[in-house]
Amino acid sequence: MTYSLLQGLRVVELGESTSAPYCAKLLADMGAEVVKIERPGIGDQAREYGPFLNDQPHPERSGLFLYLNANKQGVTLDLETPTGREILGGMLAHSDVFVHNLHPTNMDHLGVNYENMRPHNDQLIMASITPFGLTGPYRNYKAYDINLAAAGGICEGLGSPDREPLTFGTPEVGYFAGMAAASSIVIALLAGAGQHIDIAEVEAMAGIYNGPEALMAVYQWRMTRRTGHHALDFPYPNCILRCKDGYTFVGSPEGRQWRKLLEIMGDPEWAKEPRFRNRTTMNNEYADEVDGYVEEWLMEHTKAELLALALEHRVPLAPVRGFDEVRNDESLADQFVAVERADIGPVYLPGPPYKLPGQEIGPPSPAPTLGQHNSDIYCGELGYTKEELVKLYQTGII
Amino acid sequence: MNDQDQNDARGPLSGYRVLDFGWVLAGAIPGMVLADMGAEVLKVETRQRMDYMRLGRPIVGDEPDPEQHPMFHNVNRGKLSISLNTTKPEAIELAKRLVPHCDIVIENFSPGVMDRLGLGYSVIFGIKPEVIMASISSNGQSGPLRDLRAYAPSIGALAGLDSTMGYEGERPLGLKHAYADIAGALHGVFAIVSALHQRKQTGRGQYIDLSMLRATVATMGAGLMEYEMTGRVMKPKGNHDPVMAPYGNYPCHGDDDWVSIVVRTEEEWQGLKEAMGNPDWCDAEEFASRYSRLENRRQLDVNLKDWTRERTAWDITELLQSHGVAAIPVMSAEDRLFNPHFQERGLYSDIEHPSLGAEPIYNLMWNLSQTPPSIRRHAPLMGEHNRQIFGGLLGISEEDISRLEQEQVLW
Repeated sequence: MTYSLLQGLRVVELGESTSAPYCAKLLADMGAEVVKIERPGIGDQAREYGPFLNDQPHPERSGLFLYLNANKQGVTLDLETPTGREILGGMLAHSDVFVHNLHPTNMDHLGVNYENMRPHNDQLIMASITPFGLTGPYRNYKAYDINLAAAGGICEGLGSPDREPLTFGTPEVGYFAGMAAASSIVIALLAGAGQHIDIAEVEAMAGIYNGPEALMAVYQWRMTRRTGHHALDFPYPNCILRCKDGYTFVGSPEGRQWRKLLEIMGDPEWAKEPRFRNRTTMNNEYADEVDGYVEEWLMEHTKAELLALALEHRVPLAPVRGFDEVRNDESLADQFVAVERADIGPVYLPGPPYKLPGQEIGPPSPAPTLGQHNSDIYCGELGYTKEELVKLYQTGII
Repeated sequence: MNDQDQNDARGPLSGYRVLDFGWVLAGAIPGMVLADMGAEVLKVETRQRMDYMRLGRPIVGDEPDPEQHPMFHNVNRGKLSISLNTTKPEAIELAKRLVPHCDIVIENFSPGVMDRLGLGYSVIFGIKPEVIMASISSNGQSGPLRDLRAYAPSIGALAGLDSTMGYEGERPLGLKHAYADIAGALHGVFAIVSALHQRKQTGRGQYIDLSMLRATVATMGAGLMEYEMTGRVMKPKGNHDPVMAPYGNYPCHGDDDWVSIVVRTEEEWQGLKEAMGNPDWCDAEEFASRYSRLENRRQLDVNLKDWTRERTAWDITELLQSHGVAAIPVMSAEDRLFNPHFQERGLYSDIEHPSLGAEPIYNLMWNLSQTPPSIRRHAPLMGEHNRQIFGGLLGISEEDISRLEQEQVLW
C-alpha cells in the first residue's frame, strides 16, 4: 500500500545500495514523485548484489533493488561529464528535494555539493547521506555495513565473550540513515527553508540507537558486553532458547509474567530453590543451568504452540521465525503487496509499516529498469527533443 | 549553550505542541525528536504507573529515585512533564481539555488501553478533527497478534531479524539491542511529520496506526527478498557477506581489541596488499580475484588475522584508510564519547540535570543547516510542569491545582 501524505512533492534520488534508496522509497510510498538517477550501463550496485529471481543473475532481477526502488521512475545520467551535471541542475530546478549517498570524496570529485546545486534552486532541500558525515577527521573514510555497525555500537555487545564480535545478519545500517534523512527532509519542508542536511550513517546508529550507553559507561554500567545468547543484568529469562522445532525468545520483565510462565510449566521444583529467588542473580550467575530446565519444557512444544500459549496467557514468548515464516504470517498478509513487471512477473514486497486511514492510493509501481524513464523525464519534463535524447544516448551521457 | 540560549533557539517545529503519552523507548523517542526540533512536548506520566525508564537502579544512594535514570534522561530531554493519574476520571477530563491546544497526540499503550481510558482516537478526533494521532504498538491495532505481549526482543524474533544473528552454522543468538523500538519510533516520526506536512496544505488531521513488527519487517529487505526470489531461508552466517571478502571483525594486538575490515573492489584489494607490505600469500591463486577470495574466505581470514593480531585496531584503521580500504575499530559508547571525530561533530552535549549534574546526552545528529535540532532542556522531573500547563495553559487556579495534587489526580 502507498499513501498520499506527500503528494505533489518532487524528489531526485542519486542513490546506491540501501541508505538513499530507502530514504527515497519512504518518500515515494508516502506519495512523492521520485526520479532515481543511475550510472549509464551499470546502475545502482544493488542490481549486482542480488538475490536474483530463480538464481538467474541479471541486473533487472535483483530482489534488493526491486524492493528498495519500487514506486520510483528511473533515468541514467553520467555525472562525470559537464553535460551530465548540467542536466542534473535542470532536474533540480524543477524539484523540491535532492537526496544522494555519494561518498564525500566522490562529491568533491564531481562537484556535486550544496554550493553548486543551490544556484539551480534556492528552495532546494538537499540531503547528503555519507558514512561518517561531511565534517570531522573521518569525513573521507570508507565504510561498508559492518564498519558502520562496528563504529556505531552494534558489534561490541554481540557474540560470545571469547570470539569475534558479530554484526547484523543482513545489511541494516542504511535503513536507519534512510529513515533519519527522510524525516529530516520533511521537517525541512515544514520549516520552509531551502537547506542542506548532513546525515552520517554511523551516527544514525550511534546516536539514536545506543546513545544512552555512553551515559551508562560514565556511570560504569556496561550494558553491551558479549554474553552469547544471554543479556547481562536483566531478570532471567531474556534470551533465545531451543524448542521442539527451532528456537524461541523467552522473556518476562514483569514478575507476574515469570510466575505465569512457571505455572504453565507446571510449577517445577527447581524454581523453588532459594538461589533462584532474585531473577537478575539467576540470569547473571546461573543462566546456563536454568536454560537446561526451561529448555526441557520448551522442547515439548512447537513454535506455533508457544505462540498460542503466549497469546492465551499474555506471557512474552515469541518464536524465532525464519523469513519464510515471516512472509507467510497471516497477520502480516496485507503488508506484502504484489508488484508486477512484464519481464519478471509478480514479486511480493513488504510495504510501509503504518496504516493511514483515508490516505490509501494503491499498490506501488515496480522498480524501473535501467534508464526506463529517460524519454519521459528528459523529453517530457525537461524539454529535450527526441533527436537530443538520441545524441545523449549515443555519446554515453544517459 | 547556556539555558537561556537553549530556550531561545527556535527549531523547525516550534509552534507545534504534542500531547505525549509515549513511554519506555518506542513511545518516548518520537516526542524526543519533535522536542529537539522545537515542538513543545507535554509528557503525560504518572506515579501510579511509572515510566519503566524511571525505575532503574539509582546512581546515587540505594533508595529508588525516579529522577536518576540516565536512559530516561536521554530519551525524554527537551520535554515538559505533567503528571496525570489516568485511573482518576478527573485526570482524563484534564487530558481532554489539553487536546484542543495540541497538534499531535502520541501513545504506545497496549491496543485498547486508550479506548478504555476514554481517550481513544474517536474521542480525540471528536474534540479536534485536525489533530495528528499516532498509536505505536508491537503488532498493530488489529489482527491476530494484536494482543501478544511483545517487547523489542520478541519482535526481533518474530520479524526474522534474530534468525540470522549468530555464528555460522550455530544457534541464533538474537540481537540484544532495542532494534524494533528504534525502527518503530523512527518510522513513526516520519509518518507524523508527513501528516503535519499534509495538514499544512489541507488542514486535515490524521490517524497513524504503526506496528513495530511491520517497521522491523520493512528493514528486512535482504532476508525477505532472498526467500521471495530464491525460496531459500537465511541462517546465522557469522560476519560473512554473500559477495565480499574479506569482510569481518578481526582480532588486534590489544585486549578485546577488534577492527572491522571490508574489501569489495579489486582496487581495494590492491590497497590492502600494499598496506600489508605485499606479503607473498596475497599472490597465491586462491586470492587472485573477487570470486576466488570469496571462495577461499576462510583461509583469507586466517592469513589476515595473523597480520591484524600484530597491530592495534587504530593503527590498522589509519593505515588501511590511507590506502583506500574500509576499516574502523569495533567501538564502545565510551570510545565514541572520547573520539575526536565524534567530538568534533558534536555527538554529545553536556546537559545539566538537577539530580545528577552534567551528563553527556547524545544529540539528534540530523544536521539541518538552517534549522538544526538542539537539546532545549534536561529531562523533566515528574510533574515538573503541572503549574505551567494546567495553570498557565488551561487557566486552572492555584487552589484547584493544589486540590488536584492532594487528591492524587495530578500524581
